[in-house]
Amino acid sequence: MSTDKELTGAEIVLEALKEQEVDTIFGYPGGAVLPIYDALFGQNFLKHVLVRQEGGAVHAAEGYARSSGKVGVLLVTSGPGVTNVVTGLTDALMDSIPIVCFSGQVPSHLIGTDAFQECDTTGITRPCTKHNYLVKDVNKLPEIIHEAFEIARSGRPGPVLIDIPKDVQFAKSIYKKKSDVTFKSHRIKSGSKDIDRIFIEKLIDHIKKSNKPIFYVGGGCLNSGPKASEELIKLVHLTKIPITTTLHGLGCYPAEDDKSLGMLGMHGTYEANLAMNQCDLMVNIGARFDDRVTGRLDAFSPESIKFHFDIDKSSINKNVKVDYHTNTDITVSLKAVNEYIESNQITFDSTQYDSWWSQIKQWREKNCLHYEQTDETIKPQHAITRLYELTNQKDTFVTTEVGQHQMWAAQYYKFAKPNRWITSGGLGTMGFGMPAAIGAQMANPESLVIDIAGEASFLMNIQEIATAVQYKLPIKIFILNNEYMGMVRQWQELLHGSRYSESYVDALPDFKKLAESFNAVGVRAKNLSELDDAINEMVAVDRPVIADIWVDKKENCFPMIPSGAAHSEMLLSKYDKEKPENQEKGKVLV
Amino acid sequence: MSNSSVYPTPINAFKQSKRSVLSVIVDNEPGILARIVGLFSGRGYNIEALNVTVVDIENNLSRITIETLGEEKVIEQIIAQLEKLVPVHSATNLANLKESYEAEICLVKIEYENDDQDHKILSFADIYRTRTVQKRQNFVVYEISGTSERINKFLDDLHTISDIKVEKVRSGPIGLGI
Repeated sequence: MSTDKELTGAEIVLEALKEQEVDTIFGYPGGAVLPIYDALFGQNFLKHVLVRQEGGAVHAAEGYARSSGKVGVLLVTSGPGVTNVVTGLTDALMDSIPIVCFSGQVPSHLIGTDAFQECDTTGITRPCTKHNYLVKDVNKLPEIIHEAFEIARSGRPGPVLIDIPKDVQFAKSIYKKKSDVTFKSHRIKSGSKDIDRIFIEKLIDHIKKSNKPIFYVGGGCLNSGPKASEELIKLVHLTKIPITTTLHGLGCYPAEDDKSLGMLGMHGTYEANLAMNQCDLMVNIGARFDDRVTGRLDAFSPESIKFHFDIDKSSINKNVKVDYHTNTDITVSLKAVNEYIESNQITFDSTQYDSWWSQIKQWREKNCLHYEQTDETIKPQHAITRLYELTNQKDTFVTTEVGQHQMWAAQYYKFAKPNRWITSGGLGTMGFGMPAAIGAQMANPESLVIDIAGEASFLMNIQEIATAVQYKLPIKIFILNNEYMGMVRQWQELLHGSRYSESYVDALPDFKKLAESFNAVGVRAKNLSELDDAINEMVAVDRPVIADIWVDKKENCFPMIPSGAAHSEMLLSKYDKEKPENQEKGKVLV
Repeated sequence: MSNSSVYPTPINAFKQSKRSVLSVIVDNEPGILARIVGLFSGRGYNIEALNVTVVDIENNLSRITIETLGEEKVIEQIIAQLEKLVPVHSATNLANLKESYEAEICLVKIEYENDDQDHKILSFADIYRTRTVQKRQNFVVYEISGTSERINKFLDDLHTISDIKVEKVRSGPIGLGI
């Protein structure tokens, strides 16, 4: 299209998406976005995925973004269309996922009149987006869209919303190319690319001096790009320092490697949490000292010198005071650290951490992820273990819902590469996993995409199975069905005297028949002897599958650091009882 | 605002709270004030006073001055959060600057009944060098400017006079770093 030709606002949206190399958009039409849907009709560069509820579109965009490293895009109508995406925008903000959401708005002259399907979109979404816009002038539309994409993906990524009144979608203007837009640096906040020499020298100095160091790696490493992960692996190999990752850091470092202590935090491993508790040097790479990770703050790693890599200045000293920090992009920083080590021919004394590693070995011997698969009732941990063993040779992406199954997936599914693990961490959004799997499958059509689910979470966005069927997306929904909101039930057992108030999920559908009614495939494993067959069948079928795996209803997720407890106060099994005074303290926390 | 506010406020915010005046330069665009106010309410910070005006028409910039209460760690976090907002150019804690100046303006309407009161009011007005905006029988309107502390003192002194009625409006502090 020639740039001096006048386009309508709707056409400008499409032109900008094309220039931003967007190939997939998730959405749901409605009155206030019809002009954009009309423009979509006559083009073929952009694949539109019609979801069944707008909430599905935003999680799908998140899954698309996380699994591809690109910006996820969605399109919804005004009023209920946009209020339905509020949960997903908040989810993306908490987990730093780049998303651009286009929403329709009632025509400008009707704004403020309580018009049909009108709501204060920018007002409602202001606290749950990185930035948002109400476009009042079509002439500003091109640069707003380009700026929105830039903001979404720069610095600490996040969701951006563009609200476009219907009259602006019809109004005409000249398209402005991305290259003709001058971005103002104070608005983009892309984070520093300058190497922080002093920080790096201090870091090497402390690594050489320390006896009990640990790397604590989070989602920031993931967001910095796959190169960050490569540099991290190199750094761990050079220094031979143990590494633990947060829920979102899983995959940044190969889980099967012997330097990996696995995940830390509330349901992290014994060795990871005790190593964090007792280390003398903590190197935080892109993690944010979340309460699920730190446990009780006054007992969090009391003896350590703390280094913090984070592109977001507001993450520094927010929850935990650190000794040294850098806001430079993690890839740049890690590369510089490795180059510094190599160019100065720094060698690390191989015996320096011997006693630390032998201590870690002792902790590992606790075998904290041990479970007993004794009878025919499938243990949920075993189901995940088998799923891992039967799928790890394939190029696999795993999404999850939220709850016990999510933690078991994090514990027992071993990720070797970044961007393969897509979960709702910060917000903890039940119903996230299936639409996220749809997004991941759209971005990776040749890969195996599995949503590890609980039956309760799955029911929250069950309508999206129709989306998967319509677009022939062979996602696999692997339900650990225990007929409970398992994590709620676990907390009630541990903290509320086993009073299972409203956590039993009664009147469940027959998931196999449900799958069939959607023209998907249903498989079921009622006991251990049926488990492998069910998994194999699920993987083999080139269609969407719901696998209903009946698991032990009373199994709890261990290890566990109860809310308000310290890393050193982990519960390892159901035989460990929480101290009554901690129970009372923990009860009031989340 | 104190800890006895009807709205629950994190106890932490009052641990070693001290008053800080923050100066924030922003793009003057719709919603910017809502973003800032929303940031404070959403994260449980306090706003004691707030002042917003366009200061640079050519570059479309506004300066927002916020008086807040919080311990040092909280103030640092507020600054970092403010600087994350897209339209924010800079956020500065004036207390961290080598040199900065503050001023506030206050209009006071004082209703009185007798000459004795009038004399006392006049003497305070003289001490504090207020400007008389309006004077009629039984009431006077003064304008006083200066640091917030100075205005507080003037108002405190007025309250030592019995049976007068004082109505006031304050701009909240504005400040400039040099």
